[in-house]
Amino acid sequence: MLRREFLSAGVALALLGGTARAGAETREGVAAQVLATWYHLALELVRHTPTYTPPVASRTLAYMGVAAFEALASGDARLHSLVGQLNGLTALPDRAAGQGYDTAVILNAVMDGLIHDLFSNTGPTGQHAMQTLTARLAQQAADGVAADVVAASRSYGATLAAAILEWSRTDGGAVIENMGFPATYTLNPAPGHWVPTSKIVLQQAPLLPAWGKNRPFAMPAGDSCPIPPPTDYSEDPASAFYADAMEVYTTSQSLTDDQKQIARFWSDDAMLSYTPPGHWIAIMAQVAVEKGVDLTAQVEALARMGVAMADAFIGCWQAKFDYDLIRPISYIKKVIDPKWEPMLNTPPFPEYPSGHSTQSAAAASVLTALFGDSYSFTDESPTPDGAATRSFASFWAAADEAAMSRLYGGIHFRLAIQNGQDQGRCIAAYAIALKTRV
Amino acid sequence: MRLFALALLASPAMAQGVEIPHYIDETATAGISSTYAGEWEFMTGGGVAAFDCSGDGKPELLLAGGTQKATLYRNDSPTGGALKFSAIAAGVELDRVTGAYPLDIDSDGIMDLVLLRSGEDVVMRGAGQCQFTRANEAWGFDGRDLWSTAFAATWEKGQTWPTLAIGTYIDRTQDAFPWGSCTPNALYRPKGQGFAAPLDLKPSFCSLSMLFTDWNRSGTPSLRVSNDREYYKGGTEQMWHIAPDAPPALYTAAEGWKPLKIWGMGIASTDVNGDGFPDYFMTSMSDSKLQVLAAGPDKATFKDIAFATHAIAQRPYTGGDFRPSTGWHAEFQDVNNDGVQDLFVAKGNVSAMPDFAMKDPNNLLLGLPDGTFAEAGDKAGVASFAQARGASVVDLNGDGQMDIVVVNRNSGAEVWRNDGSSTGHWLQLALHQDGANRDGIGSWIEVRQGDRVQRREITSGGGHAGGQVGWWHFGLGATLAADVRVIWPDGSASDWAAVAGDGFYDLTKGQAPMAH
Repeated sequence: MLRREFLSAGVALALLGGTARAGAETREGVAAQVLATWYHLALELVRHTPTYTPPVASRTLAYMGVAAFEALASGDARLHSLVGQLNGLTALPDRAAGQGYDTAVILNAVMDGLIHDLFSNTGPTGQHAMQTLTARLAQQAADGVAADVVAASRSYGATLAAAILEWSRTDGGAVIENMGFPATYTLNPAPGHWVPTSKIVLQQAPLLPAWGKNRPFAMPAGDSCPIPPPTDYSEDPASAFYADAMEVYTTSQSLTDDQKQIARFWSDDAMLSYTPPGHWIAIMAQVAVEKGVDLTAQVEALARMGVAMADAFIGCWQAKFDYDLIRPISYIKKVIDPKWEPMLNTPPFPEYPSGHSTQSAAAASVLTALFGDSYSFTDESPTPDGAATRSFASFWAAADEAAMSRLYGGIHFRLAIQNGQDQGRCIAAYAIALKTRV
Repeated sequence: MRLFALALLASPAMAQGVEIPHYIDETATAGISSTYAGEWEFMTGGGVAAFDCSGDGKPELLLAGGTQKATLYRNDSPTGGALKFSAIAAGVELDRVTGAYPLDIDSDGIMDLVLLRSGEDVVMRGAGQCQFTRANEAWGFDGRDLWSTAFAATWEKGQTWPTLAIGTYIDRTQDAFPWGSCTPNALYRPKGQGFAAPLDLKPSFCSLSMLFTDWNRSGTPSLRVSNDREYYKGGTEQMWHIAPDAPPALYTAAEGWKPLKIWGMGIASTDVNGDGFPDYFMTSMSDSKLQVLAAGPDKATFKDIAFATHAIAQRPYTGGDFRPSTGWHAEFQDVNNDGVQDLFVAKGNVSAMPDFAMKDPNNLLLGLPDGTFAEAGDKAGVASFAQARGASVVDLNGDGQMDIVVVNRNSGAEVWRNDGSSTGHWLQLALHQDGANRDGIGSWIEVRQGDRVQRREITSGGGHAGGQVGWWHFGLGATLAADVRVIWPDGSASDWAAVAGDGFYDLTKGQAPMAH
């Protein structure tokens, strides 16, 4: 079966709303539809906003998830706020005692406020779309709700969004200049270190070299989950590093059709897709519908997934720039075959560890904790090239395949994949440990 | 000492050994006052067509106006003098025009027009003396109601009527989720003395420039399409086989075509590396591409040499704005008459995108003898910071020096006169043939000086939303003579003929060059 491509309602994210539709015209159903529509727009804006590389996307999805959770937690005594559990989140506004509120209206106001701000740099079409949804969803959320409740809920939602945004300003990732590429950067001239891999002027410096210094969400620091150093660099054909590179090279020469499909399926390129964190959010949304989880469980999942993946990128980037390892394309062209070209475009930053491996492992860890270790599913989330759907016996099966896709694609050595997964698993534990229920 | 200083003042400025042309900003006095106006639906487009409809040999200008009416400006410039234009009522005063291309569609020797619009496209028949009338119905042209943004034309083998390609952009009705809603591009093939129903060129990926070009000199042009990756899903740059009497077919990986995903906005073409085949410069955001054939004419594989040759317009080079650039119209011309093609790139923010430069100067990349380029826009005087879109690099006052007109979004168009201080010689050549395709679209002009041959494919299309037909300009450098010949669209080649430099020549099929 061909993978469903570009469905108008955004496939997986619309599925969140689908859960609610099962509940007919309930207020929870309206709230879920509003949430799903904003997430759908956010993923499109990730695809279409110039600064939205995967680390940046993960950050935004984390704030959105936390905000959605807190929108519900502020009015549900069964839920335990993340205030005090996430780094730097010391307080959030409370709802006024005795005032009636509506969850759908609050959620809409929170998502509206966050998305307009976090995607304020999107292009004119994105601005047009945001304005359109602001008008449309405000009406949809408020339909049938008493005017005083609507007003109070909008006001509270806006206040909550402002507080979340205020918290976000100080994490180190709020300002992205020059599309994430530093204006000046000194390459390490020693052999084995990263060198530019493209002929695009902007990419002669690596992407977001300071991202690993950002404030994490749940893990204590960017280096809380260290990984062993990569293989010692050598150009000696008898060396372990040469062997690692030869594995990438020989694999690329004998890719099966299935391996090519895997590489394409998980390529999740910046500016051409929802990016890896967006892909996993889409998977989560699909599974949430398949399992029929309620709105409360959805926002819990969105928060944990967002936090885990954002921390995964921080930890991964910390290690990437600590080790500053050369990419396979640079080594293989220099040492093995100057005409070699990998199947995938090599991303413009150091090799070790693999970002997709780290964050996919983090995502799989969270999903396994939420939905079990043997949940089989067919990933229906959209891919830019319309690759066929792929089915998995578990979330870890998907994460393992996502990780290996980088070796098939010729952009990572095996060790970056293995140790990246270990790092992601470690980082996710902090998100899984968050207390969300009283 | 005093004499030495005067000599320095009199000498042309130099950049890496080549002369920098000197441009005089005559925007305030030239009589051109058009603004390409409008919001979302007019963030792209803003083209200008350059062609002679008054019969004096100097090109008139038709500027798209967006929400304002398109305007035709009659060229009243004295030869070699200050630029002078007068807006005239020509029948082209439509609103929602995004682009304009001249083309003698009915081959009656009078230039016709294709007006691209956010709305119904319109073909206009030239009646002479710069008067035009709508011809959609007379020529069976279905203008559709889409957001049109690209154009190209060719005469397919055996046809007496042109084939048009029109590229479109976003579905304007998809206001909340417009991404992935690219509307179909269309191919209009001949049907008698008119057009058949448009044939969708699917898949379509929000094209902003198209060009019929004979990339491998096979004798049959293909259709290159540059697409805006901002709006497509699963898209890529495209090249179509447009074989006579056969459905269009995309070039495939098996033929060597490699996917390339850019914010494609404009195509310029010339033979940069002297291999006899056209090369392609594509504008984008924060990047640009210069593609040359990678493995000869049997394989549709191109390699990018923009970085290696400094043919890059990826960020402002002056003005202090560090952010990446947004490139639109691109055009190769020899602006300093040194015999090496130069490259002009019109630039400007899409709207107010904060990650891209707001002060984004147009580029004037001077071609150097070693095949690389050197930026000279600021030194030449054309580094405007307005939000440029379309442009034309064209000799407006008939002095053999290439002037520049730029259409800007939400501010007035600008025009610069090349003051002719460059010392190189030049040729201006116009093609004529009997029957169909009077202006020889699809021909190749070759200009030989010693062992060196400059080649130029005569095309209709490309750039960003505008193009020109008329005199084709060649710089000759220090030598005041050259041999010229034409390889006509039917493959026949004229004999080499010697011509003196600094002159205009009519090259009529079957005849010797005739001084104009």
